[in-house]
Amino acid sequence: AATEWNVSVWGKRRAFTEHVEKMAELVSEKTNGEFTMNISYGGLSKNTENLDGISIGAFEMAQFCAGYHADKNPSITVLELPFLGVSTLEEEVAVSKAIYAHPATIADLGRWNATLLMPSPMPQYNLAGVGDAPSTIADFKGLTVRATGGIGEAMTLAGAVPTSVTSEEARQAVDSGIVKSIAFAPHAHMSFGIMEVAKWWTADLNPGTVNCPIVVNTDALNALSDSEREALLGSVDESLAYYIDYYNNETMGKWGPLLEEKGVEVINYNPERLAEFRELAAGPVAAKWIEENNARGLPAQELYDLVIETLGK
Amino acid sequence: MALKASVLTDDSLLSRMDQTLLKLEQFFGLISGLAVFALMFLAVYSVGGRNIFDSPVRGYVDWIEITMPLIAIMGISYTQRDGGHIRMDILVGRLRGRLLWSAEFVTTFLVLVLILLLIWGSWAHFQRSFDFAAPLWSRDSTIDIKLPVWPAKLVVPMAFTVLAMRLCIQLTSYGKAVISGTDTPVAVPMIEDAATIAAREAAAVTGREQA
Amino acid sequence: MEPIDIGIAVSIGLLVMVVLGMRVAFAAAMAGLIGLIWIFWAKKGYDPSQFTWALTVATKTAGQVPHSKVASQALSLIPTFILIGYLAYYAGLTKALFEAAKRWIAWVPGGLAVATVFATAGFAAVSGASVATSAVFARIAIPEMLENGYNKQFAAGVVAAAGTLASLIPPSAILVIYAIIVEQDVGKLLLAGFIPGAFSALVYTIMIITIAVVWKNVGPPIGGFTWKQRFESLPPALPIVAVVVIIIFFVYNPFGDAWGTPTEGGAIGAFIIFLMALYRGMRWAELKSALLDTAKLTVMIFSIIWGVLIYVRFLGFAELPAAFADWITSLDMAPMMILIFILLAYAVLGMFMDAIGMLLLTLPVVYPAVMALNGGENVAAADSAFGMSGPMCAIWFGILVVKMAEFCLITPPIGLNCFVVAGVRDDLTVQDVFKGVMPFFVADAITIALLVAFPAIVLWLPSLAG
Ligand code: NA
Ligand code: NA
Repeated sequence: AATEWNVSVWGKRRAFTEHVEKMAELVSEKTNGEFTMNISYGGLSKNTENLDGISIGAFEMAQFCAGYHADKNPSITVLELPFLGVSTLEEEVAVSKAIYAHPATIADLGRWNATLLMPSPMPQYNLAGVGDAPSTIADFKGLTVRATGGIGEAMTLAGAVPTSVTSEEARQAVDSGIVKSIAFAPHAHMSFGIMEVAKWWTADLNPGTVNCPIVVNTDALNALSDSEREALLGSVDESLAYYIDYYNNETMGKWGPLLEEKGVEVINYNPERLAEFRELAAGPVAAKWIEENNARGLPAQELYDLVIETLGK
Repeated sequence: MALKASVLTDDSLLSRMDQTLLKLEQFFGLISGLAVFALMFLAVYSVGGRNIFDSPVRGYVDWIEITMPLIAIMGISYTQRDGGHIRMDILVGRLRGRLLWSAEFVTTFLVLVLILLLIWGSWAHFQRSFDFAAPLWSRDSTIDIKLPVWPAKLVVPMAFTVLAMRLCIQLTSYGKAVISGTDTPVAVPMIEDAATIAAREAAAVTGREQA
Repeated sequence: MEPIDIGIAVSIGLLVMVVLGMRVAFAAAMAGLIGLIWIFWAKKGYDPSQFTWALTVATKTAGQVPHSKVASQALSLIPTFILIGYLAYYAGLTKALFEAAKRWIAWVPGGLAVATVFATAGFAAVSGASVATSAVFARIAIPEMLENGYNKQFAAGVVAAAGTLASLIPPSAILVIYAIIVEQDVGKLLLAGFIPGAFSALVYTIMIITIAVVWKNVGPPIGGFTWKQRFESLPPALPIVAVVVIIIFFVYNPFGDAWGTPTEGGAIGAFIIFLMALYRGMRWAELKSALLDTAKLTVMIFSIIWGVLIYVRFLGFAELPAAFADWITSLDMAPMMILIFILLAYAVLGMFMDAIGMLLLTLPVVYPAVMALNGGENVAAADSAFGMSGPMCAIWFGILVVKMAEFCLITPPIGLNCFVVAGVRDDLTVQDVFKGVMPFFVADAITIALLVAFPAIVLWLPSLAG
């Protein structure tokens, strides 16, 4: 009989979901329409509960971000540590895949009856903001910023003041003076209207990013026929290649001209000072992460080393 | 906005159970109200902290998300006791006697089944966020300052359990009324026409104005 | 059965349960849960051995919703707005407002009625609920009007109609609920309500003055207040101005460099009124009953929200909203005509239903259809059917349906505002109030027609906000 999977993602169709759309297309093609995917943008679950939905078996495939709920998926939050030194989407894919394949990660997601399929590589969350541009690292002192998770912690260590507002309220938070700056990936800076007001952008600060995997329900995966499973797993690389191409050409293709058109000041930092900043912020946050996750029984040091090692290659 | 209908009382066991449960419900309702109040102070503190002392509250959104279930759900049985959950009573309002109590019995029974299922579902939701082996027993945390979410999730099955007890009392009363055919069952909200309810509502407001 | 057929069957079942008098919140949750079980079981080909699986998955899916949907920062506006209204009674704000409005404006024909509209509009800027507003002003304004020779029915009609302003002029619980259901910016929607609210007040005022001029005995002008008396009336009403200013600053951000978000603005407004109420003698007993009342109304609203959202979750699996949108857009009729039919359908539905219940039950299906009618969520103004972008259409439609819902509060047979006004006054029957409120049907019909014909009335302010 025909297999139909429900896929839970959220928001609108955008660069961030193009690999899922591509995957649905490829899988249907390869199985002559026997295996189809029904992608729902927010209709099946709240984004912070996609992992719950997978665990229940309400849908077969879903996307979520590790930082939404660190305690649900501590293993992959290692990929959200600040200043890991990732600079391209390809590197982000490589490092994600390495962590996804680690037995501790597999067991961690296994608690949710979930199998990691592929990442949704996001560029670095650089800051865009109003007011005085932080042209040196020292200028971060007292800067109000909307930054969550590890990036928020790193900003605190640099003397900045993180404030939580939802991404929907981010623009209003800038307008109303709650924060002077927002840490987002470029597409989010554009879609949440930050670029309509931003005066500057920290081009090479590269403080970190979020990690948003695509997972499948393990039972549903096992229930697939061999040819269906092959069609699914065999489409991962092609879907990711399509995603990266789309992100680099469509999103980043708009980004550069937008910065120019709006006259946004592009800040590039002195490499040595940047290294100092990393030293100041990255080390302590990573150390804290390792300590906390050892307490959970994760091989935290090993996961962290795996990230650094993969990036060194 | 039929927020308060009258509930008859007497010395019967059923009525005493109703009034005992009411005390618990009022306590839960007051927690709801106090949580709204706390939210107000949190916002004042947050704005003040940011604008006056230049030190915003970290995790402001996280705290709101943890508090909201207390506000929104804790008092659910308190509201059910007085018939405060709105409904369309054009049809039911025309029924009298056994026919009315039978209709009430059937809908109350359906609601009880629903709530029992939702206790199961919301308990499972809580369980997925709870882990005795984990730090702070937490397997689900908020986005910014990583507060454990399980206490907020536990509020739902807790409040629903009280509601289930309330529904059992109401179901018993309706059942007895179907058998006896009485016009004045205890422990259930009496059906009143909109005008009577409005008069009561107005009287409540008037009382406050004079206070 | 296809998911879509299950969607239709369950939706009909929901209507039946609501008509039979099941509480709206529970009827919606029940429909959603049954629908989910049905959908999951259908997926397994109705295999009897798979029923337990379907029941488990459906129940666990539904069981997430009460917690997950209420744990939202945007929704925290609702209890705050409700608390403001209850605290305002204790602070004596309403009386002071009416007194000031009377001294300043009562010299026009129908002056006390106009003053009532102005004072209600002012109170609307701190109160989020229409029915409570009517109840308060029935007690304050009607006796004064009667003393001054006003027609009894007319006086009652004015108060019942003016109360509806509270839900358009921010803060407004119902606008926040709309914003949540359709996932639009709360701040912009509240902002959009301001001019239509003020506009409604203006149309009411014109209607009152016209009536008072044509029928001289209906509402004579009241003069004779000295400038000294006028200025003396202002200080007691000042705190409300302070609260209004704060809410304006937080909700509207007029100068682009204000102090916070709407959520915080509401809370600070509540805090100021709380301090005033303390100053005016509120103590623990009164505070406790204000908190209990707030809790009860809040829980009632939130129960409908999560109940309906369980139903919405099921609709997501059944893909009904998309199918309805496809059907609406395939109709061989001008989009504007379809929109007008939808608004008329709300007028009919609203005769029998509570405003919040009505909006929550219908919006999940109707809203996507209206957006599709305009050309989609992201359509540009130039390519759209109604001449406005997707987000602007969401705001415009929101104001229209909320105005419709408010209209329903004064129409027979279940016009709640009219019942409340009649309830406050022993000398008034419900029929009296319905008679007196009739001119305001005309006023509201004119307002709605103008809002439909000239969307700029709604969209001008939010478009400034960028
Ligand atoms: Na209002
Ligand atoms: Na009505």
